[in-house]
Amino acid sequence: MNAHERFAAYLAGKPVDRAPVIEWAPWWHLTVQRWLGEGLPHEMANTEALQGYFGLDKCLQTSVVCRTAKTPHAAEYGSGIMKDEADYEALLPTLFPDPERLLSDGHFDWLKQTHERGDTLHFFTVEGFFWYPREMFGIEDHLYSFYDHPELLKRMAEDYTEWLIKVFHTVFSRHRFDFMSFAEDMSYNNGPMISKALFDEFLAPYYKRVIEVIHTYGIPVFIDSDGDITEAVDWYAEVGADGMFPLERQAGVDVSTYLDKQPSMAFIGHFDKMCMKFGEEAMRWEFERLLHSMRRGKLIASCDHQTPPDVSIDNYRIYVKLFYEYAAKVTHADETVLPCPVFSGDGQACNSKGD
Amino acid sequence: MSIFQEISEKLQKGRAKDVSALVEQALNDGIAPQDILNEAMVVGMNAIGEKFRTGEIYVPEVLIAARAMNAGLKVLKPALTSAGVEPIGKAVICTVKGDMHDIGKNLVKMMIEGKGIECIDLGVNVEPSAVVNAVKESGATVVCLSALLTTTMNGQKDVIDALIEAGIRDSVKVMIGGAPVTQSFADEIGADAYTMDAASAAEVARSFMLN
Repeated sequence: MNAHERFAAYLAGKPVDRAPVIEWAPWWHLTVQRWLGEGLPHEMANTEALQGYFGLDKCLQTSVVCRTAKTPHAAEYGSGIMKDEADYEALLPTLFPDPERLLSDGHFDWLKQTHERGDTLHFFTVEGFFWYPREMFGIEDHLYSFYDHPELLKRMAEDYTEWLIKVFHTVFSRHRFDFMSFAEDMSYNNGPMISKALFDEFLAPYYKRVIEVIHTYGIPVFIDSDGDITEAVDWYAEVGADGMFPLERQAGVDVSTYLDKQPSMAFIGHFDKMCMKFGEEAMRWEFERLLHSMRRGKLIASCDHQTPPDVSIDNYRIYVKLFYEYAAKVTHADETVLPCPVFSGDGQACNSKGD
Repeated sequence: MSIFQEISEKLQKGRAKDVSALVEQALNDGIAPQDILNEAMVVGMNAIGEKFRTGEIYVPEVLIAARAMNAGLKVLKPALTSAGVEPIGKAVICTVKGDMHDIGKNLVKMMIEGKGIECIDLGVNVEPSAVVNAVKESGATVVCLSALLTTTMNGQKDVIDALIEAGIRDSVKVMIGGAPVTQSFADEIGADAYTMDAASAAEVARSFMLN
């Protein structure tokens, strides 16, 4: 099986030769710096080269945002670029670039070539309906905006939805990505930042519309949200998401409970990055912890966020060795694993559009 | 409904203008400012803290309630000062060096202020020496340190080391929190308390000041 076939079969609940062995997140620059000091060749210090260097299944991200070079930048981390409707009106001419010009022909050629090679998964990322207004308002003002500017928030989500739908049609008709993700980070270590009522009013209607479009191309949709997503898993399942990542152990996340309540969903991550510095025995215990969930559901074990800089290159090599050892134990040959929503239903989704 | 209840309820709903107006009305009615603070506003923020801790409300609701509290305090403060009412204590709060995240720190600050504690907010990416200086200048008895990243959580230990070096470690209680922080990490670095959410942090800070 090549990387695409394996990934698609895994999410469809079908037998595989082994589980995918991927890192969805790029490596932390501080970690790469450390590894350079431990013998990593300089030409390997980028995401794609590192994946090849360590022998992982390649997994590369293509991302777009609705802001352009003409859109002002936030003055500092966490601050925004607008306060109210007048500001939004002023920003509008700088937003929502022509979907036809978001990705170059060269990029599509690269996607095609690497796809045909069979060893590279590609995923497409956009900002989610929580992340996008947060970038616009800034972290704190965005949280106030649910009460201060509810109609503006809805207008922004509506405009963004219209643009995203055009982007998805434009991009996915040229390349069928292996999966896509919405950058969201709606949760922190005590759960979601907003209530289900706010989610239902300000996010859910828009997610439903865009996920319906994405599914017509047979592309599984993942939500990228740090923190404790135990409540939010159900909310995103309701709007049609196929999976979530990275399931951070530090936030107290337990994937086995998610497999119980959302058996159709897939999950990527959940390998506790904090254990990696302790060496082989600690990492083996961590894989042992995950193995049962990998066998009974569509958990793609992977570092539960970026590898911390306290992990030596030797420990990372051990991690990859163990990753393959445990991936080989998961074939789903003897288990009944439900397909992700995109692969269920009328069966049209997998092959309706795209290449 | 008494005016105290009314203020408390408007505060919990985040109605800043209503809270300001009601506080003004209460002062005009001759109600002692410390009673307005303790019987209405602190009661309201305590209820918010409890609802937040139990998952009944979420971050936006806490923020608008705290904003309403601040609006009321703005009206109340001159009267409190005239009456010689002091805060129950002072706390220095910051996000440690190398870390720019401030929403968790801000939530803790709001909850702590809701307990009638004066908060000296040093902001984000704060040097240990700045914390030491702030403690010396303010006479704060509690230091609250936030960190969101695994790479910056050791900055909390750096602050504790700086307090030891400055010879003032025993005069303050150090509380830590943030996504990667755990009780065992707090024990490891010699912090006095780890709290997992803003409401608990405010409770612990208050208990440190009253005991």
